[in-house]
Amino acid sequence: MSRDSDAPPAPVAFGRWAVPLLAEQLRLPGRDVRLRALAALIDVLRQPLRGPEALTEGFLQQLKVLLEDEDPCVRAKVCQLLHVLAAHTCGRQALLAASFLPPLSQLLEDPPCRRTVFLLLSRLSLHSSGRVSLLTLLPKLMKKLQEEEEEEEDEVQVLFLSLLRCCFQADPEAALRSDAVALLAPKLSNGALNICKAAAAAMMALSVPMGGKVEVCDQKVLPAVAALLQEEDEEAQLNATGVIMFAAVTTAGKLQCLHLNVLPVLLKLACDRHEDEDMRRRRKPLVMNSVRGLTMLAETPEGRRLLQDQLPLLRRTSEEEEDVDIQRVFETAIQVVTFTP
Amino acid sequence: MDGGRMYVFSSRPRVVEDPWKPRWSPSERMQQKHGNIMRDPRVFRGITSSQPLKFAEESTTRAVGPKQVRRKFRARTPEAVQGRKHVDVQTESYLEELSDIPEVKETECQTDAFLDRPETPIFLAAKTGKDAATQIYEGDLFDFEEEVQPILEILVGKTLEQSLLEVMEEEELAALMAQQRAFLERRNNELPEVHRLQEQERRRREERERRMAEQRRALEEEKEVAEKIAARALTQQQLADLVPSVLASLRREGYFYDPVERDVETHFFPRLMDDVESILQKNCRVRELLDEIIYDVTQKSLDALEELETKASDP
Repeated sequence: MSRDSDAPPAPVAFGRWAVPLLAEQLRLPGRDVRLRALAALIDVLRQPLRGPEALTEGFLQQLKVLLEDEDPCVRAKVCQLLHVLAAHTCGRQALLAASFLPPLSQLLEDPPCRRTVFLLLSRLSLHSSGRVSLLTLLPKLMKKLQEEEEEEEDEVQVLFLSLLRCCFQADPEAALRSDAVALLAPKLSNGALNICKAAAAAMMALSVPMGGKVEVCDQKVLPAVAALLQEEDEEAQLNATGVIMFAAVTTAGKLQCLHLNVLPVLLKLACDRHEDEDMRRRRKPLVMNSVRGLTMLAETPEGRRLLQDQLPLLRRTSEEEEDVDIQRVFETAIQVVTFTP
Repeated sequence: MDGGRMYVFSSRPRVVEDPWKPRWSPSERMQQKHGNIMRDPRVFRGITSSQPLKFAEESTTRAVGPKQVRRKFRARTPEAVQGRKHVDVQTESYLEELSDIPEVKETECQTDAFLDRPETPIFLAAKTGKDAATQIYEGDLFDFEEEVQPILEILVGKTLEQSLLEVMEEEELAALMAQQRAFLERRNNELPEVHRLQEQERRRREERERRMAEQRRALEEEKEVAEKIAARALTQQQLADLVPSVLASLRREGYFYDPVERDVETHFFPRLMDDVESILQKNCRVRELLDEIIYDVTQKSLDALEELETKASDP
């Protein structure tokens, strides 16, 4: 198979005739001819302004037919071509309008094409209309989550989880109805850090509606999330604090978090000062998440008591902070801590 | 021809066929015997201009085999008829004297003992044609620096343009993702606060409602208790003179009785009354009888009187 993908691309005509002639070649029966024509098309359409040339109706229909070809190399190349097309806005819109999603969802099962299809779908999700169309794929994705095999590479799993995150952000209710939290929970304690990070991001999207928060507390997801909080990686910490922040809105969540001794970690994350401007800017979401988490936890009597001891530290950090948003968040936290009925 | 690796003939070298095989036996063509080309009688050995032509067959030293026998018996030109002689004659258009002895001419040459051979003079061809001269001045020739300028400009410009476009496309995608991420961040900033406040509100509301419900329940209970007390007081009040009145009414109804009295009443009195009644009835009957008797008597007297009257009236 590698020999075929290294086959030299077909000769390309000059100017306006390039794409139509190559499209003609795609109709021919020989497999090698089609592979070479596809390779040439990918090269042509990758050039900056030539992508939209290919967006005629007939061409897209032909590509849809080729997606169901028997040969896996042809299918992989067509997916690559679609990936190149999806780099343009008009390409994305055309793909969505020509209803490519059903055949693409078939190809999710196909090993050579899987990665490209995921990349393609993540590009499509850059639009809100794309996200809405991706919701139609949600049942299939949930089923895939259910019957997940172990042999997939990490990268594909990370892509899959980030795609799930987009879907969950668009419509968390539908996902919760299909038991997403229970299916996602094992991934949080999976081996690789990337997978845990991506799973935590998806869980954060799921815990936005109230039902999600309740389920997160019920399914005992929070211990795994607290473990993720201890990691050094910034993004992992960010996602973990996000989940905690959302889940701690409910009383059960608050109690679980206090039980898991999350408070000191959040405090450390919030009040850690960095001198470097860039570093501070990058850490801004992390700091905000941590302080919000502290605010949630401060609504319990025990949390309030613990934080009242730390009140000078909080006040000092809030005064030193230059960013207005972070200051505001600290103010709210201090307000909650010093609240008396 | 074979990929340019080695030079081969355009027609591959093939073995020369053995000439003594009859050509009309194709079955034996497959088993061609390779004849030695040195001994091939068709190949002429010898100098062309000396002896008369001799063929190899006479000088062969091979053992006489069947082939030789066949050769010897091959048909030759028949002998000359008597009186005639065969002579070799040249029939070409230009006759040539054939002889054994070639024509030779001898010349001798000898260089001088002490003189070196002089230099050959330089060959100067005779001058033909017209003379013409040309001179190239400074700016006439092609100046690379100048000519290359526009081409370079185009090349560099196009490359830069393409790369700029490619970078712009990538930037566009990155900007979209950054925008998404920024939106998510902003959402994550505001959303938990909103949720927290909502949750707080909900908790307070629930608390408030719970307390109000409790209060209401307390009030209701109090009211119930008060009603109960009032009811109890009322009933007590009523029940206070209930018992004597009940007793009195019972006594009135006759539920408390003296058994003897009752017995007397139930058994004795009816009989007594019956007896009294019978006596009174008797009295009544007697009086009725008496009345009847009186009536009868009066009637009779009246009748008698009437009779008397009628009798009196009729004189």
